[in-house]
Amino acid sequence: METRDNVLIRVKDLKKYYNRGAIKALDGITVDINKGDVMAVIGPSGSGKSTFLRSLNLLEQPTGGNIEFDGVDITKKKIPGPDGRMVRMNIDIHRQKMGMVFQHFNLFPHKTILDNMTLAPMKVKNIPRGQAEEKALQLLDRVGLKDRASAYPIQLSGGQKQRVAIVRALAMEPEVMLFDEPTSALDPAMVGEVLDVMKELAQAGMTMICVTHEMGFAREVGNRVLFLADGRLLEQGPPSEMFDHPQNARLQDFLSKVL
Amino acid sequence: MKSFIRLENFPVVMKYWQLFLQGILVTVLLSVSTVVIGFVLAMVLAIMRMSTIRPFYSLGLDKDGHEKEYGIGHTISKFNPVSFLATAYVEILRSTPVIVQVFIIYYGVFGLIKLPSFAMFGFIKFDRFFPGVVALGMNSGAYLCEIIRSGIQSVDGGQTEAARSLGMSSVQNLRYIILPQAIKNILPAIANEFVVIIKESAITYTIGVQDIMSAVNAVKGATFIITEPLLVATAIYFCLCFPTSKLIAYFERKMRRGDKR
Repeated sequence: METRDNVLIRVKDLKKYYNRGAIKALDGITVDINKGDVMAVIGPSGSGKSTFLRSLNLLEQPTGGNIEFDGVDITKKKIPGPDGRMVRMNIDIHRQKMGMVFQHFNLFPHKTILDNMTLAPMKVKNIPRGQAEEKALQLLDRVGLKDRASAYPIQLSGGQKQRVAIVRALAMEPEVMLFDEPTSALDPAMVGEVLDVMKELAQAGMTMICVTHEMGFAREVGNRVLFLADGRLLEQGPPSEMFDHPQNARLQDFLSKVL
Repeated sequence: MKSFIRLENFPVVMKYWQLFLQGILVTVLLSVSTVVIGFVLAMVLAIMRMSTIRPFYSLGLDKDGHEKEYGIGHTISKFNPVSFLATAYVEILRSTPVIVQVFIIYYGVFGLIKLPSFAMFGFIKFDRFFPGVVALGMNSGAYLCEIIRSGIQSVDGGQTEAARSLGMSSVQNLRYIILPQAIKNILPAIANEFVVIIKESAITYTIGVQDIMSAVNAVKGATFIITEPLLVATAIYFCLCFPTSKLIAYFERKMRRGDKR
């Protein structure tokens, strides 16, 4: 069993309701995410996968439950400060440690690739420009896009944009990376280059949570798979068990459709 | 048969060229001041409308600290008095005629506040000019506020999500991500509003501001010629408005250049 120290994000009974509870996007999800986990979140559309992921850094405000990240319950408005007094929880501090990659890239169109990458480190972490640019170029080199540093996002292909989006998040040196269907908006020919970057990232030991429809990726790279349906966590386990010996009927049905 | 225009009337009208020249100066001065006041006011109003000041916020939390989804506490907690005031201002100003606003400001407000009566540049009556600027500025502030607000809201929500997920605060997001993109989006609408202000400033002749329209009126009173001075005014207004909109269109094209491949 994993020890307490190894848990990075502890999600307890997470709920997200819409329309006075008529729609239950998340209906009590409890899961621990350990350091170094590469977790694939799968499930039919409308199952709450994205809502779950977006709740983790509070892009969605949960209706109930707790999310403990680095020992702080980020669903609380006030948390105990260093001196024991209650202080306002500042989500920005925690978001810095959670990189996020979106389905539609969300690069800043009015800034060059380099500026896209250096803006947050410079403004949020107060890193000097020179140092931020050096780090950004290193990261761009890692994904083979160093020569596009001065281009604007519109000049890149979808796959290139997503690779930039990944290293933009990495430039903040996060503890965990959240991927929200990172390949769903891409040409089939460009899916591979993005998955390669993600694979490399996983091998380097990054904690990753990926909402994905790429079952091959989930099986090959992930060490855990969560299956969500109707806002509930129906089954979880290592990919080999999940894909080869699914227990839940909904998972069996889902896999028969996508595999 | 009487003709619409009599060419022999133009030399008569032209004797009053000085009045038209003064009118142009007043109209330009009036429009520029209105734009400045209107824009500053609009910025303040837009920020007020989009603010998240919620004094009764805590009424909308359950005992666990989560936001309630419904109920009276939830409704009250959503109330933002700052946004309410700004919205009320904008809606009232947009739903009433400019001439009524100009009269209320001139006869009502500045009927109580005594303005110093001196002449700017030797001929502009300050106690007429100033109420005109205030009334037009207040009016265009309401319209520009809506333009700015819609521009900010037209920026894709994913931009905010990306900025916030990188740890940027809402102020940093607005300043570095949203506003630069919003301003590009709203330039055509702002250009349109500037042109509207130039044209709308004509209404201030009713409170005795000596703009182009008041020059027309003066010539009409002195010579009983009506059509020709109006045509002169038409030409002048066109020469002010058309280049203004073209100039802003030029800047707009220049700013869009960054978007192209």
